[in-house]
Amino acid sequence: MNRIEKWLAQAAGVKTTKPGDDLSCQVAYVGAHDVTSPIAIDQFEAIGVDRVFDPDRVFMVVDHIYPASTEKARQGVWKMKDFAERYGTHLFEKGEGVIHQVLHEKFDVQPGDIVVIADSHTCTCGGYGAIGIGVGSTEQAAAMATGKLDVEVPEVVNVVLTGKLSPYVSGKDLILFLAAEFGADYLTDRGLIISGPGINEFSIAERMTVCNMGTELGSMITLFGDEEPETDVMRTLEVDLSDLKPQIACPFSPVNVKPVSEVAGTPITQVAVGSCTNGRLNDMEQVYNVLKDHKVASHVNMLVFPASREIQNEMDRLGWSEVIRNAGATLLNPGCGPCFGAHEGLVTPRDVVVSSTNRNFPGRMGSTEAQIYLASPLTAVLSAVKGEIVEPGAENA
Amino acid sequence: MTKISGKVIVLGDNVDTDQILPGYAMAEPFETLSNFAMAGAPGLDFKDKIKTCDIMVAGRNFGCGSSREQAPHALKQAGVKLIIAQGFARIFRRNSINIGLPVFVADVVDKVKDGDEISVDLSTGEVVVNGETFEFAPLSETVQRTLSYGGLIPRVRADLGIDKEA
Repeated sequence: MNRIEKWLAQAAGVKTTKPGDDLSCQVAYVGAHDVTSPIAIDQFEAIGVDRVFDPDRVFMVVDHIYPASTEKARQGVWKMKDFAERYGTHLFEKGEGVIHQVLHEKFDVQPGDIVVIADSHTCTCGGYGAIGIGVGSTEQAAAMATGKLDVEVPEVVNVVLTGKLSPYVSGKDLILFLAAEFGADYLTDRGLIISGPGINEFSIAERMTVCNMGTELGSMITLFGDEEPETDVMRTLEVDLSDLKPQIACPFSPVNVKPVSEVAGTPITQVAVGSCTNGRLNDMEQVYNVLKDHKVASHVNMLVFPASREIQNEMDRLGWSEVIRNAGATLLNPGCGPCFGAHEGLVTPRDVVVSSTNRNFPGRMGSTEAQIYLASPLTAVLSAVKGEIVEPGAENA
Repeated sequence: MTKISGKVIVLGDNVDTDQILPGYAMAEPFETLSNFAMAGAPGLDFKDKIKTCDIMVAGRNFGCGSSREQAPHALKQAGVKLIIAQGFARIFRRNSINIGLPVFVADVVDKVKDGDEISVDLSTGEVVVNGETFEFAPLSETVQRTLSYGGLIPRVRADLGIDKEA
C-alpha cells in the first residue's frame, strides 16, 4: 500500500485497502469558514443530533470576509458565534488568519490525520503529511455529526523530486510546473504524493504551498511523503529540480502555465502577495528582501496579506512591516484578502494583476475581463517594483 | 426519479465555480442564490435559457475550483434538474449529490445544441439525444441511494436511526 492507502485503511479500521474501495474513515479535525459555515450549520441542525462528534476537534474560522464588508457577512458570523457557544466548539473570529494556517498553528495535527474542511484548499495540510480532504458544507455537517467521512480510495500518482533548486524558484514554481504537466483534471479523484530526495529543498511552509494548489490540478488528496518513492502507485513522474525555472499561470486558468520569461515585460497594475497559498513568513521575507532596497512602481497597487496574526506579529517584530509599507505597499489584515473577489482590492477590465494566490478564473478578483497572473511571491514583488512582469534571476530583474 | 428528460443548455470545458456563483454572491441570503446563478459567465445568457431549458450539458471538469456549495444550490434553485458533463470536479460533484441535484458523467456535449431534447436514465445509464440512444455508466448505488433520499442529510438521519428507512 502507498501512504494514502495505509492511512485511509488505518482511519477506517481495516488491514488493507486498494483503489476503488469505499471506506468510512474516522476524521481527526473538522472545520469550516465564514463562507461555508452558515450552510453547514443549517445542515447540521437539520440532522437533528444534539452534539458534535468531539467539540475539541471541530473549529470554525472567520477568514474570507473579515472584517465584514456587508451586513449579510456579519449575520453569518453571528450564526457561527451562536453555534460555537451552543456546541462548545472552537471559533476564531478576530482576524487570527486563514483557516489552513490557523489549523497548523493552533492544533496538533499529525501525519496521517484525516482533516475535513469545507474549503477546497484543505489539501494545504499535506505539506506536513496530513490527509486533507476538501468538502462542501453538507458533507462537513455530516462529518461534524458523525466524525466519519465516506472516502473512495483513490489511485495515486507519485512525483519523485531530485536535484537542487535555483535560488530564484520556490514551491509555487514547482506546483505551477506540475499544473502544466498534469492539467486541470488528470488528477480528478486521484491522489498525489510528492517524494524523493528533492523534498529536502522545501521547508514545511513551501510544502504547504505545493499541496495547497493540488486542488487546482483536480487532486483529491495531495501530500508530501519521504525520500523513498512510494510503492503501489499508478504512475511515477520524476522531476529534476535543477531544471525548474520560474513559472507563471496566465489568464484564465491556474493550469495555463508558462515560464515567466515568455510573458516578461507585460505591464501590470496590481500585485497581491498573501493568502493560504503564499502568505507565510518565508513568503513575506521574499517581499521584504526586495522592498528594503526598492519602491513599488508608482502605477502599481501592491497588497500584502499574511496568512495569520502570528505571521504578521513576527513581521512587525522583525521590522519588515514598516519597510514593506514605506516601500509603497499596503499591508492588509491577515486573512483571504482579495483572492476570491469579495473585498479588499477588486479590479476592473483595465487591471492586470500578478498574484501569489491560487486561482485566476474570469472574475476571480472582480471584473471578468481583468487579467490575473499567478506566480511566486518573488516574481510578484519584483514585478511590482518594475511595473511589469519580471523573471527572477533574469538580467533585467 | 431515475429517469430525467428536458431541454439542454450547452456549455464548454472547465466551467469553474466563480462562473457558476461568483465570490461576491456567497454571503447573499441562501434563498436568493438563484439570482446569481452563472452570473460569472455573462455571455451565456443563462437567465433567458433557463426559462425553457433545465438540463446543463458540459465538457470536461465541470465545477472546478471552490468548495462553495452555494454553486450547485444556485443552479438547483434556478431550476436546473440535471447536469451532464464529460467530467466533474470532485467536490462539486459530491456537493451536487449531497444537496439532491443529480449529476451524470457522459460525453454528449458534441452531440447537442441549446434547446435539444435529452433523456437520461440514471439507474441504467441510457441516454437518448435527439432520438439516438447511447450507453454510459449508471450512477453508483451509493449515489442513487443518497439521491433517493433527496440528499445526504436525510440519508444521514436514516443512517443514525433518527428517521425510519425510506
